Amino acid sequence: MKQGIFQISYCERCNDKIWPTKEICHVCFKKCKWKKSANIGKIIEFSKKDSTYFGLVEIDHGIRIMGKISSSSTPETGQIVTMNASFDSKPHYSFIVENN
Amino acid sequence: MNNVAVVSTGQTKFSKDDGDIEKLLFESTRNCIQSIENCESKDIEGVLVSTNNNSKYLGAILSETIGIQPKISHSIEHLCSSGTNALISGYAYISSGLADIVLVSGVESATNPGQVLDWDKSRGSLEHPIYWASMLTKSHKSKFQTTEEELAIVSAKNHKQAMDNPFAYSNQPRTISEVMNSKRITDDLRILDCSRSCSGSASILLASEEKAKKISEQPIWIKGIGQKTTSASFTKNVLEEIESTRIAAKAAYEMAKIEPNDVNVAEVHDAFSVCELMAISELGITDNNKSGEFVRDLFNTENRMINPRGGLIGAGHPLGATGISQTIEITNQLQGKSEKRQISNLKTGLIHNMSAAGTSSSVMVLEN
Repeated sequence: MKQGIFQISYCERCNDKIWPTKEICHVCFKKCKWKKSANIGKIIEFSKKDSTYFGLVEIDHGIRIMGKISSSSTPETGQIVTMNASFDSKPHYSFIVENN
Repeated sequence: MNNVAVVSTGQTKFSKDDGDIEKLLFESTRNCIQSIENCESKDIEGVLVSTNNNSKYLGAILSETIGIQPKISHSIEHLCSSGTNALISGYAYISSGLADIVLVSGVESATNPGQVLDWDKSRGSLEHPIYWASMLTKSHKSKFQTTEEELAIVSAKNHKQAMDNPFAYSNQPRTISEVMNSKRITDDLRILDCSRSCSGSASILLASEEKAKKISEQPIWIKGIGQKTTSASFTKNVLEEIESTRIAAKAAYEMAKIEPNDVNVAEVHDAFSVCELMAISELGITDNNKSGEFVRDLFNTENRMINPRGGLIGAGHPLGATGISQTIEITNQLQGKSEKRQISNLKTGLIHNMSAAGTSSSVMVLEN
């Protein structure tokens, strides 16, 4: 994450993604690996603060993340977005509406 | 298992200004101990402090401040529902026989670290509760056709009810129109839809049945308890539901051997307007798609059944003290001591307190 690569912890033994990321699998308690995640998702819900849209987006079948949404028009639930992630003292997620 | 009762209560006024944690804690404790004639500080065997404040060792500090050396003392933190969870711990100490009289004191300063859960990286930089509250509100509006006016009624009702609560941070009435035209925080949230973080303290003395009957003329019995944690991270929530509340309520009703329609009065966790609508349906008091209509009817008929002290929106939200203040209100109502706020013919009251977008909920049932 600190290198700007969004990865999710993954348990090889349980074949399961762990989100929010944790070092240890919550089922078998084995140490997790890191796995690069898909960055395409869909908008579950959204709102707007000042002139910026934000919302809850689901990527990679069940991974839900809050972040800002870039869209030239009002977003819609179910709309496909591409995620960008960066990190300073905390993670920042942003989503760009496809065909924006 | 010993039965457990609330035998005395004490509070400070809630305030938007920062307060001294130790002073506030002492003030509500003193008010609580001085409110009961047949119990002295030396009779207290347990001291539990609920807070999100970073101050350390407050259980021992409070014990020394009131001049006692209890069997049990420690702090309890569970974000916004720290208070009810401290009461549940006090209940457990007494019902198990480890203590007979336990002091449970909650305290917070207006600026406190309990409003943001740093651990939850799935929220990214949108850490403040206004973001999840906007998601819940938007989702409730679209799924249940909840109107902005219905949301504003929650706030107008609770501000109106808080006018008769001398401990509320504000006694200013707010009309529906004022709420709907108050400062826009997001497209789905106005400033008057939000509870406000406050300084304040609230204390309760719990006692075993044997002691309660000796020292109190009007003990109020804890008949049911339910606590459920479904996750810590907000993004695991189904937006239209507060599953933890539904499960905690079911457990509390079963323990108390009552049904939701037996509840005569309830303090529910209206951190934001939408939370009250969601809570009363998850508690089984009304249907999901009728919660807006239900609250409108309460407002129009001046029925104070839900949040008679003004809830978190009207009274303020000193996180660690909130659940204890809610329990004090239900206790006073069941004792017939709520003065201007008093509701008549009460037998059963309920407290609903939750944390972090409803990822954890506590429900308690009290009876007189």
